[in-house]
Amino acid sequence: MRSSNESGQAYAFMAMTPIVQGEESDLRSYLEGIPRSSSPLAKLPRTHFARWVILEEFHHEAGQRRREQLKSQYLIFTSNFDGPLDSYLDELGEQLVEEAGEIWGRCYGCPRPAAGAPLKDYLLHNQIDTGLFFAAYADATVERVVASLDQRERMIDFAVETQGLTPNELQRRFRQEFCP
Amino acid sequence: MRVDDADRGRVWLRDLLGEVTNAQAWNGGKPRTHLNLAFTYLGLVALGVPKPVLGGFSKEFRQGMADRAALLGDTGQSDAGQWEPPFGSGQAHVLVTINAVDDDAVADRLRDLRAQIDSDGGLAIVYVQHAHLLQGAREHFGYADGFAQPAIEGTDEAAKRVRGGGVPLKDGGWRPLAAGEFILGYDDEDGSPPNAPPDPYGRSGTYMVWRKLHQDVALFRRTLRDAAELYEDGDETKLRAKVVGRWPDGTPLVTSPEEPDATFEPNADGSNDFRYAGVDPTGGRCPLGAHIRRSNPRDALGWDGLLSFRHRMIRRGMPYGDPLPDEAVEDDGAERGLVFVCFNASISRQFEGVQIQWLNDGNIFRLGHDKDFLMGDSTATAKMTVQGDPPFFLAPQPSFVTTRGGEYLFVPGIAALAAIAGGA
Repeated sequence: MRSSNESGQAYAFMAMTPIVQGEESDLRSYLEGIPRSSSPLAKLPRTHFARWVILEEFHHEAGQRRREQLKSQYLIFTSNFDGPLDSYLDELGEQLVEEAGEIWGRCYGCPRPAAGAPLKDYLLHNQIDTGLFFAAYADATVERVVASLDQRERMIDFAVETQGLTPNELQRRFRQEFCP
Repeated sequence: MRVDDADRGRVWLRDLLGEVTNAQAWNGGKPRTHLNLAFTYLGLVALGVPKPVLGGFSKEFRQGMADRAALLGDTGQSDAGQWEPPFGSGQAHVLVTINAVDDDAVADRLRDLRAQIDSDGGLAIVYVQHAHLLQGAREHFGYADGFAQPAIEGTDEAAKRVRGGGVPLKDGGWRPLAAGEFILGYDDEDGSPPNAPPDPYGRSGTYMVWRKLHQDVALFRRTLRDAAELYEDGDETKLRAKVVGRWPDGTPLVTSPEEPDATFEPNADGSNDFRYAGVDPTGGRCPLGAHIRRSNPRDALGWDGLLSFRHRMIRRGMPYGDPLPDEAVEDDGAERGLVFVCFNASISRQFEGVQIQWLNDGNIFRLGHDKDFLMGDSTATAKMTVQGDPPFFLAPQPSFVTTRGGEYLFVPGIAALAAIAGGA
């Protein structure tokens, strides 16, 4: 696969799979029913951002010469994660067994059961290379991002709490909090 | 109002058509009352608007505000499950707005309206909300409000409002906004008319957001008073100014960072003429998270203002309830707040965009999760940073404002009203 899918240690994966005719609204309902507070994608802790998108039809602009139409609706899955690709798809094949069946299971060619190596092969087969992958902090793993955010929170809480202290007292508190 | 019978509801509407205030110029001075109509999606359904037309309204309008309340940040006390009936219940169908010169004029018009409804039947009034200007055109927290509005191309006011109310240009000048940002059927800033239901339903119409926002004035006063004790850069009034971005009399902090300008006249030409990027990029004058800077960033987001000007709205809100006496710092249990009203061509891009991305979050301003301090935080854990050397933190952020209820509405143009009434 092309290195345009990579940026630092991060990888951008995309797979596009045709949705079985007649299954489109069930798939949409399933995806819309996923609770905002507990995404199955959280079971893949190397994931920075990921999503499923249903592509219904081309948008026809007034004035466009040719009218293009899709033969079926498509499911797009994209994920930006801490590489490498191979082991990520292994994890996906193990962790998202139930969801994979409900999601990719409604697409043409999906193996049954939608799990393990067959699912990985299916997704690789339908991979579309990324043309341009921009990762703001390409070497920051999810773990590092989370730790940084935690540290930021600590710093903010500290700044708010110590508001108004004398310089000496502030220094004392800073040392106590951050340099034990 | 709730529509109980489509046929009779349309008869009532047809009878009222001639009295709906339109855009024609007054001759003979300001009328005693104005009357305007707006409809929720369920109201249009109840009046029998045909299905193909219904499908042309925007998704968020069809869903309704209550279903999207969590997205808007209406949680805790503001949760839609706790809204005053009929908001969010599906019973609010038609909004009749009566604007009048005084309370008597309102009462007279309302009486006539009730009489007409009783006679035509088919509808019931399910809620009445009174609102009125407070002294000095202030809102309940004490800030002058309502005078800063967008400058819209083709309107009489555009020339007066354009400096400050329009789109800031590179050369220091301003230009008005395309009408289609606010009225369907006209080109918007993208160069084409916004999505709209089919003619004549969409033509000259607009989407309206109506929200009843309860304000805990005593809590706000106590919070600012207590916070001011640690604030070294000024007094409580200055801290109040930092929260909003204007001094209570309306003077912008950007132009007058140390004290209000005694000569400031909100409605004077050019009074709203200021921008952020050149003169105050780091928020030392007007904090990066101040209310007016969040709700209309002007050129503050870079890219010559390109990220701002598709998210403007016409505001026509008004306070409700009696003011809390000036020196009081304990709540008297009375109902008071703001009936927030705005008009825009796209609820999701304009009202919701600002509410969700600019007021309830701070990411675009590099303020992390910080939200607009003025609107309060239902979890009471948030804060505001007043930039400076050293910066000052207003924390924690109590819950000053509670959403009592609201609806998304459509304001049809005159031809559309006739179409709805005609059952066509």
